[in-house]
Amino acid sequence: MGNYVPLTENDIKEMLETIGVSSLDALFSDIPKKIRLKELNIPSGKSQQEVSDVMKALASKNTVYDVILRGAGSYSHYIPAFVKNITSRSEFVTAYTPYQAEISQGILQAIFEYQSLVCIMTGMDVSNASVYNGASAAAEGVLMCRERDRNKAIILGNVRPDTLKTIKTYASAQCMEILEMEANDAFVEMDKLKELMGEDTACVYLEQPGYYGELYSADKIAEAVHSAGAKFVMGCNPTSLALLKSPGECGADVAVGDGQPLGLPMAFGGPYLGFMACTEKMMRKIPGRIVGETVDHDGRRAFVLTLQAREQHIRRERASSNICSNQALCALTATAYLTCLGKEGFRNVAKACVSLSHYFAAQLQKIEGVELQNKGEFFHEFVTIIPDKSEEILKALAKNKILGGLKLDSDRILWCVTETSTKESLDNVIDIVRGAICC
Amino acid sequence: MLLIFEKSQEGKKGVDVRKPEVKEYSYSSELLRSDLDLPEVSEVDAVRHFTELSKRAFGVDDGFYPLGSCTMKYNPKINEEVASLKGFTDIHPLQPEEDAQGALEGIYMLSQLLSEITGMDAVSLQPAAGAHGEYTGLRLISSYHKSRGDIKRNKIIVPDSAHGTNPASATMAGFEVINVKSNEEKGVDLDELRAVVGEDTAALMLTNPTTLGLFEKNIVEIAEIVHNAGGLLYYDGANLNAVMGIVRPGDMGFDVVHLNLHKTFSTPHGGGGPGSGPVGCKMELAPYLPNPSVVKYGDEYFFVNDPDSIGKVGSFYGNFLVYVRALTYILTLGKEGIPYSAKIAVLNANYLKKKLQDIYTTEKKRHCMHEFVLSLEKLKEETGVSAMDVAKSMIDYKMHPPTMYFPMIVHEALMFEPTETENKETLDSVADLLRKLHEMAYSDPAVLKSAPHSTVISRPDEVTAARKPIVRYKKP
Repeated sequence: MGNYVPLTENDIKEMLETIGVSSLDALFSDIPKKIRLKELNIPSGKSQQEVSDVMKALASKNTVYDVILRGAGSYSHYIPAFVKNITSRSEFVTAYTPYQAEISQGILQAIFEYQSLVCIMTGMDVSNASVYNGASAAAEGVLMCRERDRNKAIILGNVRPDTLKTIKTYASAQCMEILEMEANDAFVEMDKLKELMGEDTACVYLEQPGYYGELYSADKIAEAVHSAGAKFVMGCNPTSLALLKSPGECGADVAVGDGQPLGLPMAFGGPYLGFMACTEKMMRKIPGRIVGETVDHDGRRAFVLTLQAREQHIRRERASSNICSNQALCALTATAYLTCLGKEGFRNVAKACVSLSHYFAAQLQKIEGVELQNKGEFFHEFVTIIPDKSEEILKALAKNKILGGLKLDSDRILWCVTETSTKESLDNVIDIVRGAICC
Repeated sequence: MLLIFEKSQEGKKGVDVRKPEVKEYSYSSELLRSDLDLPEVSEVDAVRHFTELSKRAFGVDDGFYPLGSCTMKYNPKINEEVASLKGFTDIHPLQPEEDAQGALEGIYMLSQLLSEITGMDAVSLQPAAGAHGEYTGLRLISSYHKSRGDIKRNKIIVPDSAHGTNPASATMAGFEVINVKSNEEKGVDLDELRAVVGEDTAALMLTNPTTLGLFEKNIVEIAEIVHNAGGLLYYDGANLNAVMGIVRPGDMGFDVVHLNLHKTFSTPHGGGGPGSGPVGCKMELAPYLPNPSVVKYGDEYFFVNDPDSIGKVGSFYGNFLVYVRALTYILTLGKEGIPYSAKIAVLNANYLKKKLQDIYTTEKKRHCMHEFVLSLEKLKEETGVSAMDVAKSMIDYKMHPPTMYFPMIVHEALMFEPTETENKETLDSVADLLRKLHEMAYSDPAVLKSAPHSTVISRPDEVTAARKPIVRYKKP
């Protein structure tokens, strides 16, 4: 049996004597006998070596694909060696939330740098220390826009399904009304949007790029939203922010998204990183931890958790949210990723994604029977329409250890191309797709 | 120490990626952003920067970490190794179920193990943290009552000793909060409870052992009172480490429970996250668990969605790599190691308490569970040295302070949770230190009041931080 107890039999005996009891069980005399458990019905403990074998066997039952052309909320990117190495340092990994600032300056400064990077990327004034994931960030982002007379949110355009469902879960408990307005390939009918918005609209939520990779005229939408007195919440893919107009430049009040593309592995969906940023005006409404800069009693620069009057451990049932943690290690990962790539490296990642995805889309379109759903601009995801062929194409690719795009229905596939692909690998995919269509 | 932005120099390059062998695609200018001002540093500069940051942090690997209610136990290295296997890290959450059988099997196995450990019928691993688990659990309770047409039940009862997340989660989940005072023994006051339960009671949220580190002896009666009134019982799993494998929430009468895998099941805290807060429940509430759940048919595993589910509480399936670590841990400990670890956690806490209880105020008549609370009210009155001063002084002796000023019902509280992974020598040295600090409070209080003295900063000015917030770097 395994355990991590560092006491000897003799230690235990001595300690029981000191306490003045005869056995370990005597310490549990407060627990009523009738509810005590005889024995857990689970397997016996195992040696480390055996457990290692069990877990390796489990891991080996999952297919690790050589080429991945699927995104839809989880993105395969190259993770520089630096990132894993630095973030594995046990001072970071095994530390608690930095309540004790004097011995947590490293973690606090890392979060401060993370917040600064999120502000730089999103063009917003304030970022929190992160929340659970992109979907919960979007839900919290929508909730923080509520005002006394404004309790309705409009979800505009094509939003990732998990994000939409999470927003709905969070909103329903607050009796917040959620309306959805479709937008065909990033085309937003402004008159319809204006009609939908009323004096009760708290915010409009838009994803840029949208679920199908499409790019919206976010600045025009922001203008319309603001003229109705509502807030504009933008959900973003952080890689796209290397190139595309930032939420701040578009006029967003709140920017949210999932930081997974910033150095976190796909890992079957988590842990990821929900980033949240807002304008200075909304600073006291943003949920979650925030690190601030101050000085110590000797005048030296110091970092602390701040603006805690918003938080649950002070305000209890009147807190702005119940969240009491952040994804600190994931935020550190994103900080390390952006730092080691730097200004040029990060832009090059985004450029590679865009160039390769557009090359791939163009090559696909050359195949007879392939149509692109996206007519306007897209980032690194797009949708093909190939009548009745989704299943066959994806099967043919899987045979070649390629994870194709996500099947939306029998005709449509949502593809994603990142810098992990090469021209050669994409050309190979094109050949397989062509083969699957014509035969 | 400079910020990474202050170390940046134009033209310095870090890591780069492959240049694609295809034509560069360019967007029209109205889509493009202005300059993106990320730091420019070389790889070695970045390594030195983050290494220096790590030296200004303190983890369980660095020393004693008795944070009460946080269960800062050792985070086994095998867990980290397993969580970095390519078969776990490099799989897409939307790859076909048949290509992710190992992942689904892992989810299924851990859910089953946690069901047995908690005495629940079903478990969802989706919540990403304890508070997230609370929220999810309360939503199940809300759906359960609504499905029975019992729409008046909009109140959650919370003891005044509860974690702040309990009332905050209840509000977020759409409930009203009723706070109840504790009795003299700092447990739930049964008369008070009887007075507040009724047709509007949705549930009582309870931590057991309580936040004072004492087992709630009246738990069976409490469950009866709440159930008889038509309400449910919610178990905050923050303190499960004391009783895992010894008594199960399900057998105490709880209907819904959340666990903190980052506390009880040894996954690392990571400086504040990622954690994992699975939710378990009795059969009647299982249909409302977040979608999807994993089922087994024959030898195969599948995702299924329940139409009655509360829906999604986040992306995909929760913090997968965190629960892979917890699974590794539970397989290692097994049916013997789990209760044994709980017993040693309780032994360690009682041992340390015993060595301090003659000079610090604490509950002496009863054995504590995995943690205990000292009140330094008397010390403060007599010397001016506060709980905070003693806590900060511990830092100078390479120990992390305990939880301070919680629970709120104890004045000048310090809450110690040594966990089962500390050895006797460490506990002896902690006791010696706390006795020495007690003496110093009388002989040399100024040293304690200005502690810590050995850290890179002295106590920070938190008031200015909140009054004039600087929450990001700005280029001068």
